[in-house]
Amino acid sequence: MNLALHIMRQVANAIGLLFAVLVLNFCLIHAAPGDPAMVIAGEMGGASADVVAALRVKYGLDHSLIEQLFTYLSKVVAGDFGYSYYFNEPVVSLIAQRIPATLYLVVSALVISIGIGTLLGVISARKPNGLFSQAVTVASLAGYAAPVFWTGLMLLLLFGSVWPILPVSGMTDVARPKTGFAHLMDIIQHLILPSVTLASVFVAQYSRLARVNMIDALTADYVRTARAKGLPERVVIGKHALRNTLIPIVTVAGLQFGHLFAGAVLVETVFSWPGMGRLVFDSILRRDYPTLLAVLFFSAVLVMAANIITDLVYRLIDPRVRSMAR
Amino acid sequence: MTAIETSGGPPGASALAPRAAVSPMLAALRQFGRSPSGVIGAVVLLILMLVTVFGPHLYGIDPLDIAGLPFTPPGEDAWLGTDYLGRDILSGLIHGGRATLTVGGVAAAITIIIGVTMGAISGFFGGAIDTALVKVTEFFQILPPLLFAMVLVTLFGQTLTTITVAIGVVSWPTAARLTRAEFLRLRNLDFVKASRAAGAGNLHLILRVVLPNALPPIIVSATLAIGVAILFEGGLSFLGLGDPNTMSWGLMIGQNRNYVLDGWWTVTFPGAAIFVAVLAISLVGDGINDAINPRLRKRD
Repeated sequence: MNLALHIMRQVANAIGLLFAVLVLNFCLIHAAPGDPAMVIAGEMGGASADVVAALRVKYGLDHSLIEQLFTYLSKVVAGDFGYSYYFNEPVVSLIAQRIPATLYLVVSALVISIGIGTLLGVISARKPNGLFSQAVTVASLAGYAAPVFWTGLMLLLLFGSVWPILPVSGMTDVARPKTGFAHLMDIIQHLILPSVTLASVFVAQYSRLARVNMIDALTADYVRTARAKGLPERVVIGKHALRNTLIPIVTVAGLQFGHLFAGAVLVETVFSWPGMGRLVFDSILRRDYPTLLAVLFFSAVLVMAANIITDLVYRLIDPRVRSMAR
Repeated sequence: MTAIETSGGPPGASALAPRAAVSPMLAALRQFGRSPSGVIGAVVLLILMLVTVFGPHLYGIDPLDIAGLPFTPPGEDAWLGTDYLGRDILSGLIHGGRATLTVGGVAAAITIIIGVTMGAISGFFGGAIDTALVKVTEFFQILPPLLFAMVLVTLFGQTLTTITVAIGVVSWPTAARLTRAEFLRLRNLDFVKASRAAGAGNLHLILRVVLPNALPPIIVSATLAIGVAILFEGGLSFLGLGDPNTMSWGLMIGQNRNYVLDGWWTVTFPGAAIFVAVLAISLVGDGINDAINPRLRKRD
């Protein structure tokens, strides 16, 4: 019964925060040096004097700031995030085209990092001072310290020139377009390097987290009870201990979603992956502010969605929090 | 990480004990010295700082000058090769380190100052102030930090100052949450109540009574913030948002990115420099964590 109410409260909270992001966007446009009309048009967007004059009228730049804020918000509510003069397209449709590619990348990186991270953490927790455990610790430090775009470039060097077995650029083989299943396999092949690169940063953190929590879990009473019941080790670890190990990982994964998204921007740039990150890069290069600000807004939407999903998954894994409202 | 067992004693007890002759600072330093990885990290970091401070005087080539043919591979002509314009990579590393490490340090300081102020006020006063500040923190947390920094730098100009401030402004929520949690834990303890009863004002309580006791996790977080800021500087420069007039490690990678297949050395060395610096900083952070962990720490 509580769940629906809880989700509704979460969504209401999310809408409030997203509203605040819009206000921030508005403030940024006006706080940035230069004419807001030029900012909206984008410095290098090829906006002519007519376009700028039209924008001045459209956004009511001759009115008071409060009135302008309302104009801006009402436009956004109506789905109008402005027009990209560089891409010559409404910003919303630009973003809609790019979101799927980014989601493929982010979700596969998330799955890889949580999967491998947990696995490594769980294995190394069985012998916390063993060689494998030490190696995992070193590898996770390295994964954390290596800049993700550099890891990507190193993989690009390796698979681009030394050992060319994987595609290093784009999402599909443009020279040989495929359909159906072959098309899917093509995308998966292209996805391997970007998602592994992005995952490398997070594998580190999740394996450390899994290791610490697994070590804790393995000394807990309920694990001893499970063993005393005569359950096989596989069930003790895989079912009883793992569940409690996963809780903090899910929490951190939710909190990290923003970082994951930002990492995707860098990784997409390295591998020319046609997602939102690539769009960010292009709009930075062209000073295409409407696109940039809209991406900031939609990334906040994704982060909020991730937070709500995390909260639900958390409830799924940990029955204790089901009754508690946050 | 292996925790080193010492006779830390229960908190508070040793404050009265006469053997408090060793200052807590020195005790922590000794403890730090027992962590091999922490010491290695500190030594590497020290070397990097010395190289960036004195290196430019010893290695005469200007990082922005054309020193040779483009894409000269590492060898006699240029130890670490030249980039797509023919600029010396080693010189770029030496000079660029100065900018990168400075941005890292200053941005981390901004992060910690904002974060600790927000967290301290939030945790100390509680109530409506806390609710409001938690909302603000939550707001900043839904904006992907690197992306937010990109927007700020794009809008306000690509100077080293903007970059530094932008990194500081986007990354404080972690420090704020941490500080808030510490203040919430500490604010109702007896020694704080005693100070308050003795007539201490809020400002005195926050700065002189609670904050010193909340410092250990904040120090660790500050150390790690330097590493994060260096990674952010690298990421921004990589996307072309570096200060084009100042050589930095990130800028080297960003400018040579498209030529990676023409000269592997152009991006490999600057990236390795960032990697080594961040690795050293996190080793130091871990070492400090072990050294001043509340369970092991002697109370002051």
